[in-house]
Amino acid sequence: MLDILIYGAVISAVYALLAVGFTLIFGVARILNLAHGAFYALGAYCVYTLTANLHVPLVVAAIIAVLLVALFGIAMERVLVRPLRRLPPLAVLMMTLAVGLMVEQILLLIFGSEARNVPSLVESSFNFGGVLLSGQRLLAFFCSVAILGGLWLFMQHTRLGAAILAVSQDPEGARYMGIPSDRIFSIVMGLSAAIAAAAGVLVAPFQSVIPGMGLLPLVKAFAIVIVGGLGSIPGSIVGALLLGYTETIVAFKASIEWSQIVSVAAVLIVLIIRPAGFFGKRAAF
Amino acid sequence: MLAWGSLSKTDVIAAIAVIALLAVAPLVGSRYIVGIMTVALCYAIWATSWDFMSGLTGRENFGHALFIGTGAYTAGFLNVSFGLSPCWGFPAAAIVAVLFSLVIGIPTLRLRGPYFALAMLSGAVVMQKLSIIFSETTGGQDGLNGLSPMLRSQVSAYYFTLAALVVTVIVLKFIALSPWGTILRAIRGDEATCQAAGINVNFYKISALMISAAFAGFGGALYANYQLQVGPDLFDVALSINIIIMVYVGGMGSIYGAVGGALLLIGLTEGLRSFSEYRLWVYTLILILILFFIPNGVIAPAWVRLREWIKGRGALFTRRASA
Repeated sequence: MLDILIYGAVISAVYALLAVGFTLIFGVARILNLAHGAFYALGAYCVYTLTANLHVPLVVAAIIAVLLVALFGIAMERVLVRPLRRLPPLAVLMMTLAVGLMVEQILLLIFGSEARNVPSLVESSFNFGGVLLSGQRLLAFFCSVAILGGLWLFMQHTRLGAAILAVSQDPEGARYMGIPSDRIFSIVMGLSAAIAAAAGVLVAPFQSVIPGMGLLPLVKAFAIVIVGGLGSIPGSIVGALLLGYTETIVAFKASIEWSQIVSVAAVLIVLIIRPAGFFGKRAAF
Repeated sequence: MLAWGSLSKTDVIAAIAVIALLAVAPLVGSRYIVGIMTVALCYAIWATSWDFMSGLTGRENFGHALFIGTGAYTAGFLNVSFGLSPCWGFPAAAIVAVLFSLVIGIPTLRLRGPYFALAMLSGAVVMQKLSIIFSETTGGQDGLNGLSPMLRSQVSAYYFTLAALVVTVIVLKFIALSPWGTILRAIRGDEATCQAAGINVNFYKISALMISAAFAGFGGALYANYQLQVGPDLFDVALSINIIIMVYVGGMGSIYGAVGGALLLIGLTEGLRSFSEYRLWVYTLILILILFFIPNGVIAPAWVRLREWIKGRGALFTRRASA
């Protein structure tokens, strides 16, 4: 029972990190970013290269990796996505998809298909009432919660955060108020990429780092965001908790294979029962 | 035959020329090339059936592989587990695919936004995972093997697939040009206005999905009968995405463009074989360039231009003759 509680919390926190960035860029710029999984994979590979090849200390490497991926996200938005915004939404969707595929291919060319190992920041394990948890998982949990809290503070208490919220509520109204929505789109894409990269960096030590590692998290992020409601940050956190715990329970009680079905089956059920998700605005559809 | 009115003589001649070209191919090409082209024709059937629903109504389907996979597995089960002749696989595959389209289409096609796309995507993933979990009946990762072939020779299989493609394109193009197709395109343009005009929008969207699913399932059975093997990769997200890319490159909503896109991209992947490990990288790079510089697709717009040019020259000649 306790093991489900603890492992579920760690998984949920990482899922929330993935889903928040995904829902943020959808809520603000109406972009369904299929390159989101690629940001996650890039984060993990950046840390790997910086530590294994350039011998940068792990903490510094993690920060550099997040910044680099954020720059990549901004560059993608500026160069490839923005010129397509006046076209039907599918054009942008296809472009993010193509960028995601391209990143995977480049990683495959540089690093090959075998899994890479990233060292853990915390080597020791901790014992919680008989449940053994590795330090890295504990770190992933606390960092995720800290990042989510930081994001909440940023959105609620800074002018930039207020501007982002304004654009997500009414892009046209925000423009009339003098908010440069194009620049906001870039910033949010960078922010969303940074959060996804942070998730990649945090899980890299206990996940296999392979070029295709971004696909499953992308599907999970999709699922969480649908369950929680597209474009809603609290919704995606609740969705992450729901999916994270359901998956852990199914994995413990049934098998790992069935746990992979849970997220996608949840999407189908939620779409049929309550398509706006638990926290989505009805105006979203 | 009012629906054919908007097709010009140039269109018909070009279509016959392309079919003739495809029909001659096995006479010149090697066994290897014929094999690749048969697969390309299967992709073309999938791509046109995708285009019929998503290109016309603008509701992107991100899990077309759901219909392909269920069609292929239906054909596989009937043949391997029940020992029925492969001929039964085709109608059964279409029917089962249509049933699946109803299960997903009825709840989600009412909604605007990306919900239908996501439901289709997750539907295909669920089926793929289920096919691995119930490996005793489905064969798991290996899938079903040893289907008995319907046609003995490879060349006759090629011609059968080509004929199936031609029929598919004719039927779908016919519906697309009929008043029915006009309503589907109107839904893409402005759904609210269609509703205000008293059109039952959901009925049209769901029946378009049913038709699309029927042909995709049929195409899946065709593929299963050619490969003599069915596997979980027929439900793969990558397959669905490949099909969307083909239609996108071909030009959305034109039906024939999707065929061109499928043949072009399969040809491109084969042509890039000399790049060996850089192949997929070059492929995605070309894809990004196409998406960026020719966002309306390649094949259909190119044909529209070419047709204008031919007509322009024709007009020039007749004017000269009359003068």
